[in-house]
Amino acid sequence: MIPSTLAKSLVEICGPAAVILDEDRLLVYESDALTAYRHRPGAVVLPRTTDEVRAAVSEIARHGLPIVPRGAGTGLSGGAVALDRAVVVGTARMNRILEIDAPNRRAVLQPGVINAELSAAARPHGLYYAPDPSSQTACTIGGNVAENSGGPHCLKYGVTSRYVTGLTVVLADGSVVRAGGQGRDTAGYDLVGLFVGSEGCFGIATEIEVGLLPLPEGVRTLLGIFDRLEDSGRAVSDIVSAGLLPAAMEIIDGPTIRAVEDSVFAAGYPTDAEAALVVEFDGVEAGLDGEAARAAELCERAGAREIRSASDENERMALWKGRKKAFGAMGRIAPDLLVQDATVPRTTLPSILKGISEIGKRYGLVVANVFHAGDGNLHPNILFDRRDEDELERVERASKEIMRLCVDAGGTITGEHGVGLDKKHHMPLIYGNAELDAMWGVRRVFDPGGVMNPGKVLPDETAPGWSGEGEPGVAGDLVAGDLVAAGAAT
Amino acid sequence: MSTATAPRTVTGLLPADQILTGDAAREWAGGRNVRAVLLPASAEEVLAVVRVANETGTPLLPAGNGSWPGGGGWTGGGGMVVSTARLDSIAHYEPADLTLTAGAGLGWRKLAAAVEPNGQWLPVDAPGVGAGTLGGAVACGVSGPLAARYGRVRDNVLGLEVVTGEGRLLRIGGRVVKNVAGYDLVRLFTGSRGSLGVITSVSVRLFPRPGADVTMVFEGGVDEMLELAGAVRASSLPVAAAEMVVGGAGDGRLVARVLGGREEADDVCARLVAGIGATPTRTVRGGESEVFHGRRAEWEAGAPLVARMAALPDRLGATMRWAREVAGRTRGEVAADVLGGVVRVRGASVGHGMVGVVEVLARARREMEAAGGTMTLSDAPEEVAARVGWTGGGGGGGALAEQLKSLFDPRSVLLSRCP
Repeated sequence: MIPSTLAKSLVEICGPAAVILDEDRLLVYESDALTAYRHRPGAVVLPRTTDEVRAAVSEIARHGLPIVPRGAGTGLSGGAVALDRAVVVGTARMNRILEIDAPNRRAVLQPGVINAELSAAARPHGLYYAPDPSSQTACTIGGNVAENSGGPHCLKYGVTSRYVTGLTVVLADGSVVRAGGQGRDTAGYDLVGLFVGSEGCFGIATEIEVGLLPLPEGVRTLLGIFDRLEDSGRAVSDIVSAGLLPAAMEIIDGPTIRAVEDSVFAAGYPTDAEAALVVEFDGVEAGLDGEAARAAELCERAGAREIRSASDENERMALWKGRKKAFGAMGRIAPDLLVQDATVPRTTLPSILKGISEIGKRYGLVVANVFHAGDGNLHPNILFDRRDEDELERVERASKEIMRLCVDAGGTITGEHGVGLDKKHHMPLIYGNAELDAMWGVRRVFDPGGVMNPGKVLPDETAPGWSGEGEPGVAGDLVAGDLVAAGAAT
Repeated sequence: MSTATAPRTVTGLLPADQILTGDAAREWAGGRNVRAVLLPASAEEVLAVVRVANETGTPLLPAGNGSWPGGGGWTGGGGMVVSTARLDSIAHYEPADLTLTAGAGLGWRKLAAAVEPNGQWLPVDAPGVGAGTLGGAVACGVSGPLAARYGRVRDNVLGLEVVTGEGRLLRIGGRVVKNVAGYDLVRLFTGSRGSLGVITSVSVRLFPRPGADVTMVFEGGVDEMLELAGAVRASSLPVAAAEMVVGGAGDGRLVARVLGGREEADDVCARLVAGIGATPTRTVRGGESEVFHGRRAEWEAGAPLVARMAALPDRLGATMRWAREVAGRTRGEVAADVLGGVVRVRGASVGHGMVGVVEVLARARREMEAAGGTMTLSDAPEEVAARVGWTGGGGGGGALAEQLKSLFDPRSVLLSRCP
């Protein structure tokens, strides 16, 4: 519960319907899509405008309470969890597209606009918004900005950061900063680039300018079926080495295929296969068939036993179905799912996949892989039942080994899900004290009082002046990856 | 004298052949007045230099190979240049990963030659990429017309190693194409023009070189070319880059570059020509097209004044008007990135009408900013820059920028202008 004076002020600023104080209703906000971390916020406030955000943030900060910015709560790193009964500032009601500027291929919007709705609104202008996280029908652009979200088509088109050209941000002290805007060339430090991916620790973006792209004229989608997972990884490397640049390349492994085929999402993939590789090309019609044929040939040469191709949109959707519904289907196999998000150099994919499989076997665990192969962005999913303590411990150890394997191969701990609460203790795997100090410093430039999303991204024990008291971590050592509710999308 | 008692000086840290003074330094700096040019050969040497500079209060000016003197600004003249030109080796290149890590001093031509045999390239046509260094282009952070297809320089930088102004070595980002671990300091340092630190190593994302590179050149009057530029911009066809150039005589030229597979490129060219209703006066292909654009990237080199104006692409006509005013005062040329809305002026002479030049630049800045755009000076005589200001107020976040500067360079050792 928050002080009644604060509750009263928030109601005055945003109206009674925009302030949630009731403990039962606050339950909805106790976790994001990574349900291992549950902390009920002290209150939730849902402003509608930059002014309301500014006033609400000032009031909360004045009362000395921490603030957690939140979009749709689809994040996979515990980033939107309210530690210490922080007050959640949700952007759900800031859901207006303020401008679609078709001639300049840009849009200006509030942060609560849902990713897929932006593309839908741009479509009549022949445009769309490129970054397409799998949660795109639910996640917000503000959340995408905070996490620097990716998606299958980022292989060709790049991640969120490339498309955000301007921001209006409310800082913890209630000041409003405008950075960038009106296109791609701006003067001064790249504050927009710095803010994107800051996971709610720097401030709250209340207005976002993004670039849009013309809808591609044609699309060709292939599905390669493989008897060996490593072969599908090699096909990915071969396609890239051949100079082809597909829009997306996604791998679904055997255990995932079987989970999908056993579920209501059955996509018609052969259940005895060990990997399915989706390859998609888009662009002008001319030349697309040639590129698709070349990719098919490379898949066959890498060991694909069968190649399917889509001849229309329905068939294309069918080929994608197994990939898109993979996470939902895994709920059938086990109640809990731990998904990691490491990115590795693409050439190491075959050996990393083999290594992950060996680790799974050694710990007697089912590991199902479904991932953005073209980017080397892995999502190994460990399936388990958290009520089984022994299994939970094995999951934790296997997960740490997988993370270490990926980092040692030149990879990173998170490619698109963010660090949040979940991976902050892995930050020292890839950064030393100098880098962590620098990040703390930058965070304090934006938020000297430590008001915005405290306890996330940077390990507390790396904070300059940290006293060394207490155990590092909140729930961080429960499991070392993303423990998600089965059914969450990635 | 033992090292323990020797006076710690910046120049005492490097072997003699890595320090230029007197005429050699001036020559290196294109005739500008510098006390010395330091050429450290490792990140550790850069670190040692910056640390001692902090102890002794020696101002340093970070630079690549000095090919773009204005890129970092020379305000405060008489400082020491710390050049990364000797940090020019490729540390890691895995063609199948399409990533490369190299010293910041690696020249663009050497980079291109190293990746070309594998059918790859780093598609950056920012000003100065021909003669300049990888680190220089990252530090300056400006883009050329190809950004429309491949993103800005910053979109293809995966990781950096930097020595901050305070004298700390940071390895930020990585060498994988997707990485959201921690705050994006790579973006902060990219385009910071050496004001926060000296970039010593860069990891970049490479691209497969397209099978066809076709450049169509259209010529005519300025208004006619502006109209054509509008039609190219409105087309949904994947034109990789489009640039409009207005020469001193007021003649216009529009250049459209199409990249892709052969079949795709031919199709796009044919449909573009039909769609905009104009016939190219010249079409160049393959290597010839590349050479053409390579020359374009050198367009700013050696000019006493380069101004860069940016606004939304559909305001190109208005931006162009201001650019042409500046060009008129400086016997200059104008080049407009049609898809990006960036218009550059390359002034050939500032000499006699300095007051007039300052006036017209100041007015252009006012008008551009009033319309939501920016006007920055990429290079200018110091007396012009001092009166006009390098960047104006278009950067936003002024207080934040100052705090970031003092976070990474608390003693203001780095001379480079804060962008």
